[in-house]
Amino acid sequence: MSGGTLFADKQLVVTRTLDPNGMRFSGEIDINNCGVVGTCLKAIAAQEGDVHLDVTGLIFCDISGIRGFVEAAEHREKGRLLLHGLPVLLQTVMKVTGWADLPNLVVCDCKAVLA
Amino acid sequence: MSSPAASPTSEFRHEALLYAGWAGFVAGTVPFIRGGLEAGEPVLVVESAEKIDMLRVALGGDAGDVLFADMAQVGANPARIIPAWHEFVTRNASPGRRMRGIGEPIWRERTSDELVECQRHESLLNVAFGRGEPWWLLCPYDLDNLDPAVIEEARRSHEFVTDGTTDGRSDAFRGLEASGAPFNVPLPEPARIASRLAFGAADLDSVRAEVSREARAARLKASRAAELVIAVNEIATNSVRHGGGRGTLRIWHEQSALVCEIRDKGRFDRALADRERPSNDSAAPRGLWLANHLCDLVQIRTLPDETVVRLRMNHPPTAHLRIVPDLP
Repeated sequence: MSGGTLFADKQLVVTRTLDPNGMRFSGEIDINNCGVVGTCLKAIAAQEGDVHLDVTGLIFCDISGIRGFVEAAEHREKGRLLLHGLPVLLQTVMKVTGWADLPNLVVCDCKAVLA
Repeated sequence: MSSPAASPTSEFRHEALLYAGWAGFVAGTVPFIRGGLEAGEPVLVVESAEKIDMLRVALGGDAGDVLFADMAQVGANPARIIPAWHEFVTRNASPGRRMRGIGEPIWRERTSDELVECQRHESLLNVAFGRGEPWWLLCPYDLDNLDPAVIEEARRSHEFVTDGTTDGRSDAFRGLEASGAPFNVPLPEPARIASRLAFGAADLDSVRAEVSREARAARLKASRAAELVIAVNEIATNSVRHGGGRGTLRIWHEQSALVCEIRDKGRFDRALADRERPSNDSAAPRGLWLANHLCDLVQIRTLPDETVVRLRMNHPPTAHLRIVPDLP
């Protein structure tokens, strides 16, 4: 079951996923659309519990995009932000830039399929 | 004659060791290492694997108390060396404690582009550690295999010079302030540009596409190509955000490297900006730091009216001749 499209432009599509609770980001994030990350996640910022983000289809994400996920995770009071399917290169980028060990942002390799 | 700018860099001692042959290297480094160990100082040696093996033998049982790191890995891109020393110093610093290091960033096989960045690195060490924690860094220079001009530059970038037996202040030392002055050493103009693109914010996807295309043409491994795309995108993003909103991308192929250059109207004037570990603040800049960790060489030049950043990815030498023609 899908929760519908939250955002779409020529580079990026964000859809709501309901089981588990979260979103799917597909496409490319750079400074032209990085604000979308924060805007979309703000909608569920007050929800308790973990939020699962499927980023398997994120073919490009710059530092401003990762910063969007980092800040959204920092703003969550209860529950974490889990990134599923983060490409290896983006995992490297997070390590190099000092964003690998944040308590609220988890890079998950559980291979979960989000519906 | 000592220049007035050549003020002592307080507790940090940056010293060039001018050595000749294996014997000269051992005579200049082993007593230095032993002196540190006897004083209870942490010692880190960043050298070639070959020299590390030799030092282990020469030090015998004491080698176990010395930290070793392979310069070929740590310093392949010389901009990664200061962060490594920074980590060593901050990990070991405590009141009254001194430390020692040996680092040889320049060897004969360095390319001319790498050499000039190594020389910039040597100067920036004064900026990074001068007036900071008390430690002594010895930088060996191989007299038998390096050009006399390289030795002359070592006298300018180091406050102290020794030949292993006599040491003293270098009269040619350029001083702390000049060590961090805007870097404007000319970059060689490429023979042939493969791709050129003027870009603004809306064109970043085109920037990425151009880099991907040329990376395929250069037959870079897919993972290396993706790293280069990330790095170039960050530098181009800096142009958009801090460099007047626009920039120019040029890409060219060299025998063993793909080079991407970004020019913009920004002013790069924080000498260590590309080699300072990003702070925990999520808003802190990270692009140049990341580029230095993904690319084989990053060259930054602050010119009177523009900033130039060149990003280089090395690859095995390209075969330009097709010996066997493609079958129809």
